Amino acid sequence: MAETKTHIIPGQRTAAKPQLEGVWRVVVLNDPVNLMSYVVLVFKKVFGFDESTARRHMLEVHEQGRSVVWSGLREKAEAYAFTLQQWHLTAVLEPDEAV
Amino acid sequence: MKPFEVKLVLPVVVPLLEVVKELAVGLKHSHAATPELPGTDVIFRDLWKGELLLGQNEDLSTLLELFDDEFLKEGVVTFDEDNAELIIRACSAVRLRLRERYLQVLGDEALETGEVDLAKLTEPTRKAFMCYLFLATLQELIIQRIEGTLLPPDLH
Repeated sequence: MAETKTHIIPGQRTAAKPQLEGVWRVVVLNDPVNLMSYVVLVFKKVFGFDESTARRHMLEVHEQGRSVVWSGLREKAEAYAFTLQQWHLTAVLEPDEAV
Repeated sequence: MKPFEVKLVLPVVVPLLEVVKELAVGLKHSHAATPELPGTDVIFRDLWKGELLLGQNEDLSTLLELFDDEFLKEGVVTFDEDNAELIIRACSAVRLRLRERYLQVLGDEALETGEVDLAKLTEPTRKAFMCYLFLATLQELIIQRIEGTLLPPDLH
């Protein structure tokens, strides 16, 4: 299977600005176009989720409009958001205020 | 995923490919879905957008290559490990652009459920919606193969 090409971007900035420190969430937002099966496949490929975890996040997106699919350091969060956008999912980053 | 072929009905599909090709031209220069870009660093954001666009163009080229002169003779397309993921991403890009360009009038609920009265649509909208369904069908076929949820043809 062809690999998803993530050439750049995330991780190439060397000096993290203070506001980019801490824990960040990768959030996927609902869209009316992408198929449920497509979203499940993307979650499995990008995050390595098993079927039930991928379906749970997909249904959360579908029913609640959003799902937090990952949280952690900013650079890795950027990499995930970029890859999800390559798959045409609407992915945004949010600071995790609870941490 | 083992390679597999699908035979399409040319008189049905060829008019829909006109729509795909028209939209693919526009997608060479703009993202199918406006990406939410992190941070405020202009250079970083431009790199991000540029890389997304490069990938999108590669995906779309792969999709269009399916429908070459050979396809127009037999109506057969072949999916394999090299093209499958690129094609389902390209289908997603074109479907997003179809919604933006032609299908807003239907409303998002109709697009999600697929419950649309074709007889009530204008010709351009009807053609766009048929194209939208056609690309979804290609995606479903490929995803089922990737997921291994279909038996190989010889086991049917």
